[in-house]
Amino acid sequence: MPIAPLPNLLAALPEIFLAVAAMALLILGVFQGEARAAKEVSWLSVVVLVVAIFMVGAQNGVRHVTLAGMFITDGYSIFAKILVLIGSAFSLILSIRYNERENISRFEFPVLVLLSTTGMLMMISANDLLALYLGLELQSLALYIVASFDRDSARSSEAGLKYFVLGALASGMMLFGISMIYGFAGSTGFDTLAAHLGGQATPSAGLVVGIVFLIVGMAFKISAVPFHMWTPDVYEGAPTPVTAFFSVAPKIAAMALFVRVMVGPFHTLLFEWRQVIWAIAVASMILGALAAINQRNIKRLMAYSSIGHMGYALIGLAAGNAIGVRGVLIYLAIYLFMNVGTFAVILSMRRGGKMVEGIEDLAGLSRTQPAMALALGIFMFSLAGIPPMAGFFAKLYVFMAAIDSGLNVLAVIGVVTSVVSAYYYVRIVKLMYFDEPAAGGAFDRHIGVEVNAVLMVASIIIMFFFLYPAPVVAGAEAASAALFPG
Amino acid sequence: MIVQAICFYIFSAIAVASGVMVIAARNPVHSVLFLILAFFNAAGLFVLMGAEFLAMILVIVYVGAVAVLFLFVVMMLDIDFAQLRSGAVRYLPIGATVGIILAVELVLMFAAWVFAPEVGQALAAPMPGAHVTNTAALGDLLYTKYVYAFQAAGIILLIAMIGAIVLTLRHKPDVRRQKIGVQVSRRRTETIALVKVKAREGIGEEEGVR
Amino acid sequence: MSDFWSGYFWPTVITILEILLVVIVIAVAMAYLTYFERKVLALMQRRKGPNVIGPFGLWQPWADALKLATKETIIPSGANATIFLMAPMLLFMLSLVAWAVIPFGEGLVLADINVGILYLFAISSLGVYGIIMAGWASNSKYAFLGGLRSAAQMVSYEVSIGFVLVTVLLCVGSLNLSQIVLAQQHVWFFIPLFPMFIVFFISGLAETNRAPFDLPEGESELVAGFFVEYSSMSFALFYLGEYVNMILMSAMTSILFLGGWLPPFGITPAHAPYGTIWFILKISFVLFAFLWVRATFPRFRYDQLMRLGWKVFLPASLFWLVLTAGVLVWAGWLPARV
Repeated sequence: MPIAPLPNLLAALPEIFLAVAAMALLILGVFQGEARAAKEVSWLSVVVLVVAIFMVGAQNGVRHVTLAGMFITDGYSIFAKILVLIGSAFSLILSIRYNERENISRFEFPVLVLLSTTGMLMMISANDLLALYLGLELQSLALYIVASFDRDSARSSEAGLKYFVLGALASGMMLFGISMIYGFAGSTGFDTLAAHLGGQATPSAGLVVGIVFLIVGMAFKISAVPFHMWTPDVYEGAPTPVTAFFSVAPKIAAMALFVRVMVGPFHTLLFEWRQVIWAIAVASMILGALAAINQRNIKRLMAYSSIGHMGYALIGLAAGNAIGVRGVLIYLAIYLFMNVGTFAVILSMRRGGKMVEGIEDLAGLSRTQPAMALALGIFMFSLAGIPPMAGFFAKLYVFMAAIDSGLNVLAVIGVVTSVVSAYYYVRIVKLMYFDEPAAGGAFDRHIGVEVNAVLMVASIIIMFFFLYPAPVVAGAEAASAALFPG
Repeated sequence: MIVQAICFYIFSAIAVASGVMVIAARNPVHSVLFLILAFFNAAGLFVLMGAEFLAMILVIVYVGAVAVLFLFVVMMLDIDFAQLRSGAVRYLPIGATVGIILAVELVLMFAAWVFAPEVGQALAAPMPGAHVTNTAALGDLLYTKYVYAFQAAGIILLIAMIGAIVLTLRHKPDVRRQKIGVQVSRRRTETIALVKVKAREGIGEEEGVR
Repeated sequence: MSDFWSGYFWPTVITILEILLVVIVIAVAMAYLTYFERKVLALMQRRKGPNVIGPFGLWQPWADALKLATKETIIPSGANATIFLMAPMLLFMLSLVAWAVIPFGEGLVLADINVGILYLFAISSLGVYGIIMAGWASNSKYAFLGGLRSAAQMVSYEVSIGFVLVTVLLCVGSLNLSQIVLAQQHVWFFIPLFPMFIVFFISGLAETNRAPFDLPEGESELVAGFFVEYSSMSFALFYLGEYVNMILMSAMTSILFLGGWLPPFGITPAHAPYGTIWFILKISFVLFAFLWVRATFPRFRYDQLMRLGWKVFLPASLFWLVLTAGVLVWAGWLPARV
């Protein structure tokens, strides 16, 4: 009996490497035993992620479609994958010491993060609705588990359960949408869809309904309003390094996938889906700006902040052209470093060996720990979008894209909500620099070399982005060009 | 043909009826048993369509494994159905609203069911010829065209397994485990001491049972 | 009208007669299996076994049947009567239904379906319902514990049985039982797949709840396990079901590993009646092994049972599956598509 020829697996090498490495590390962990293995497996996982970054980087930007048309690599996927891998690696580094301190250090954690990252890469490279769904589920399932990783804590279990139930609902909606699209267009492959929809004068109503359901599912994954309900609770309940992970890697992957689906197969339906994205973006920006004002818990604040940021990123998608996509990618890159840095600070908020999460606990930080206060100040200014921090340029690029495509209202709403949201970011800076130190005294000194390193790298990048923006901008430019070959 | 038609109506009628009984039965164990009956009739319908492989897999996987564990759990639970029902009444309006919306959407969709003109050409998998059994046909597709999805699904299941273990397994420190290797490799001399006991003296202190 | 007679009526009558024939033969075989078991056990324990009724005690099974049939059926108070009575019937019916696909010789099969082995697997995986329903419906703690034990046990061992089946299928290239037998014309599969043969045989013991895996009955702990509350014919049906399942498992072992109806070294022709005789001989041999094991081994403890199933058989069968597939691909021995 003849054996079918192997598909071109080279294009999927990073994903295969990650999955195999995760399984190997799982075996290593099982055979080493619980106590010793956790730290070792964590650092090895970081090494694996770094190797994967180089593997992705080594791919040339040429478009490859393989595995029966389900998998695609191009310049766009390379850029997004590197961002995701950096995010995962940083979150893993931040998690090691925290997990040890909180007594939840188990070797399954890095393995699950690796598998989840594999899912994210598969999402970014999806070239078929089926591949999209499977990648998304792979990613989400691992995320549900790590959300409730601190299984003896009621909050963590609640976070995991909430995320799971709502995530399953979103997956259901998305599958419903996918089945509608399949039913009305006759295919799930992006290339086939693009080819067929291109020739149609008016799309059938069923197809549009399917796309709307698909958007609902994607919006849930990037926690855009009105599908954001899970975000604050999950962010607050999950262990902090997990929250850090949630706020970067899955968001970037889901956003990258969102962009690929929308401007890929459904590009000809831009007029139909743009209004939906427009509404979601506006709602997210407004909610992100207003709801965060009253928060006392810094993790909840970051949750609303991330909702708002996804709203800004969606502006670029609403533009629906190469400039817009470039804006989204630059936004994601800068958002990655801002968030990782902020969470490195949050992870260092320990007093007497215990985590504190209140915003008031930051009061007077400039006097007790000036370096950390400076770093957090940089991140807050950047999140608020105040020049010359990187966050300003991120917003600049998406607003430019919006105006370029005539979405002036969207740009104006974006500017107004940035101003509103600046209030709560700057309030933290005020707390740190102008208020008396908090009652409990200074934070614990020893925050760990690796956390310090992450903090340093992130703050330098955010602070001095304006001096040398070329690599990110050029990379994003090339990546977005890959989606618009015409 | 008449036999097939009769079979079809029998299978589908029982399937629908047992589906109704799943939600109507008072006893949760009866519900699960009706669910199993529904699966079984669905398998019968598969056979009628000539999809014998799917029928058997449905029975093996769902009836033979999943539903057994389900039944296992349900039997151990002490479910008070009256209490559950009271909750159901409270959430009935919202549930009914969602249901009606979905039903209306489905009706609308079926009314406006227009395939894209190229659907016929775009169909991913043309039917194989009659000489290929559907087991072979499925294998041909699953391991070539859909190998990526197949492998991805495998990794998803792996994650589910890891998750179940991570979230529930607790090592109990003071459990005595059977070490079969030690047990089997034990020699006679390590366990038995043959002692000659003189009458009326008993076992000496030093040779006594330790 | 002649179309109706020749197209529907006579084929149906013939099929029904064939089914009846198979059922009667199996019922008689089952009756004498109980006799055989008692004799073999007795001889292994240097006793005489049944020897009072009839020559060599040969009428003993019929006397037993008569006794059970004339007793009163007792339904315990608090039992769920419908399910209580359904459980033994289900178990017995399933054990008979499975015989539809067993080839007794070349072409001697009631239903020669494409997915015969999957059908057998499906039916044998259903057997657990009879036991679990009986355990639950009896409203007795011993019965319930027995039912739960058996459910866990059968589900666990089905996994490794599944992998064994896949390994055999890899070597055959078809799910049809007759094809599986015909693929063993050169060498019976128990030689190249010897470890799988052992795994299958032991899992078969567990699957049929036979000693040393008879924990669901466990008379010393659970009185009689899941059928402790049964009496009369409902009890007899459990008994019948268990023994028919044993014969079925032996038939499966013969078909999968011992060449079914094929004679060893081609010493006789394979066609009827020689093939069928060889098949019966092989079944008898495997059945003897079942009884032999029962006379030899003490009962497994529950944790040992689970350990064996999940930590030994599952990895071992998975390893052999991968190894077999690897060897077949490497040596180019993959079977041609049937």
